[in-house]
Amino acid sequence: MMSDESRRSVRGLRTVRTIAGKELLDFIRDWRTLLAVVLVPLLMFPAIFVLLPLFMSSELEERQALELDVEIQTAVDAESISNLTDAMSEELFTYEIVALDSGLELNDSYLDNDRVREGSKDLILKLEFEENGSIWSFYILFDSTKERSSEARSRILGILFDWEDGLVEQRITDADLSPAEVLDPLRWGGGNSNGDVATKGEQAGFAFSLFIPMIVALWTASSAIQPAIDMTAGERERGTMEALLCSPASRFELLLGKWLAVTIIAAVSVGLQLLGLMFALSFLISADIFQIPEVSPAAILLFLLAVLVFAIMVVAIVIALAVRSRSVKEAGSILAPLLLMFIVPAIFAEFINLEGIETYWFAIPVVNVLLAMRELLQDDIELAHVLVWTISSLIYAAGATWYASRQFLREDLVESIA
Amino acid sequence: MTEGLLSIRGVTKEFGAVRALDDVSVEIRRGDIVGLVGSNGAGKTTLLRLMCGLYRPSIGEVMFHRDGETLQIDKLRDVVGVVPESTGLYHRLTAWENIRYSSRLHGIPDDVAWDRTQRFARALALDGDLMRHTRGFSRGMRQKTALLRALVHGPEILLLDEPTAGLDVTSARLVRSLVQKLRDEGGTVIYSTHNLFEAEKICDRILIMHNGEIRFDGTPSELMASTESTTIEDAYILLTQDSAREDQNLEREGWFARTWRRFLTGSRPPTVEGGDDDE
Repeated sequence: MMSDESRRSVRGLRTVRTIAGKELLDFIRDWRTLLAVVLVPLLMFPAIFVLLPLFMSSELEERQALELDVEIQTAVDAESISNLTDAMSEELFTYEIVALDSGLELNDSYLDNDRVREGSKDLILKLEFEENGSIWSFYILFDSTKERSSEARSRILGILFDWEDGLVEQRITDADLSPAEVLDPLRWGGGNSNGDVATKGEQAGFAFSLFIPMIVALWTASSAIQPAIDMTAGERERGTMEALLCSPASRFELLLGKWLAVTIIAAVSVGLQLLGLMFALSFLISADIFQIPEVSPAAILLFLLAVLVFAIMVVAIVIALAVRSRSVKEAGSILAPLLLMFIVPAIFAEFINLEGIETYWFAIPVVNVLLAMRELLQDDIELAHVLVWTISSLIYAAGATWYASRQFLREDLVESIA
Repeated sequence: MTEGLLSIRGVTKEFGAVRALDDVSVEIRRGDIVGLVGSNGAGKTTLLRLMCGLYRPSIGEVMFHRDGETLQIDKLRDVVGVVPESTGLYHRLTAWENIRYSSRLHGIPDDVAWDRTQRFARALALDGDLMRHTRGFSRGMRQKTALLRALVHGPEILLLDEPTAGLDVTSARLVRSLVQKLRDEGGTVIYSTHNLFEAEKICDRILIMHNGEIRFDGTPSELMASTESTTIEDAYILLTQDSAREDQNLEREGWFARTWRRFLTGSRPPTVEGGDDDE
């Protein structure tokens, strides 16, 4: 026989499930929110890994195809710099050689500034040769705010350094020495190996630990905000909250039902985002660039636990603040700045050195979960850290839930602008 | 003598400095159809919310009587069915899904809820629209759906807040006839309305509220006899001739919100251009 207490608990759980089920049904009926919480996170990383390189390579090709107009000012004859000008022609430069005013310093160029600024020349190169020391001096005038001018500078510097290398080799040879021995007396002897004892998977884990925790934390927070507002302030705005509060469901059951629905939505959203990332890493990116991190099953489980306790806290805070608002607009005004509460610690946590880190860092709200995720992605499980971040996160989550439950007891929850 | 069902004893309800209800006492008997009549801000909605346990009294008590026991109403949500003024329907759900949500929260099995809904939906001519999303519903259809939702768990008291406001003549008549049908079956209904003639037509008893007080409690004929009026409208005017308070709907503001509003709008009322403004 079931006791009254057990019967009440079963009924309470059924009520929570009913509320969460209705919220999820209501949520998936709205294609716009579905798009924002399901499709966008799923496609985000594949889009970044496919479209971004495509876009960047197309931009690069476009830059490389630019024909640039350069003026070379020098006192030497054209034959002396033929190696330089030939290379410039190959690199799509059209150039004009003019006489250098030998009465001026190379950088004394105020008369030429305007021509570069106005774009009549993409770049002006000044070259001077000192006969005594056999030294070339150069000076480049360019405009860093113009794409053509910056591209011209980049290309011309490459050509000048190649020309310099040629000059050096020529002079070493003229002195009956071996350029290879003079220029490269210390060499890497490891062939193709770079000597890194970390595996590709571990390297990937380290690289991921620098940005994945931040993305997961921010996405958890941002994906919780919209449904939380809809289920609380939205209910008040549409006038549905009053009817709901008249039901036998207790205020705490209402909170739990809504909290469960928002947590499921945020978890699905973050899960889809990670799935998209794994898909991009497995199929869209060469294994030479990135690999799936090598992380033990225990670290994966703890990573998921970290995301879960973080989501419990975030969703409770978001619901508590949203339910105080009588309209979606009011809730949006309150919750948008809240994202900063997560962004700032998330960025901060990325710069904290994990080696020899003091344990108390794992008790600081938001930062603790971010650091935990970083450690776990590096497959580093330190029991003391795990205990501290788990317990502290659960305390924060319980505190946030308690605060949210207080908000659900407010009498003015029935008031609506509908 | 009819059995007492709900007792409101010496209830005062305050929201900050605003006293919405002032020492209100009412006894509701099983089978009563009570019309709650009053102007905006009279306290009708506050009284209804106290009756269903959404508000707690600042002073006094609201008690429900069942099987010789007296219990606080907020512990007995199952006994009350409420149709709020805004209807409170989820527009992305169908009418049936809205009703089913409520019935599940009351612990009613879906098949039982469906049978009850069908029965009342036929009376309200809504049985053909139960599977439609409520987004496209007219005001009347929404009101009828809210009524079905309030009835699905078989409440002992039905609280209706302006159930016919904004309805066309046919829909309003259907709602009224359903209320009369419930009365015939022994149901208890508290019916808040602005419409005196509607109250006179369907209610056994009328409560006239004004400025948070009960100004009259009795049958329509007692109302006219006690005020020596020939129509119910005259009687109402006579009982509520002192000016209605206007501060009921004032938003409760915190210090910051109040200061900011005063900063933006100024604390003085606007003056007519060219009028006297020599203060």
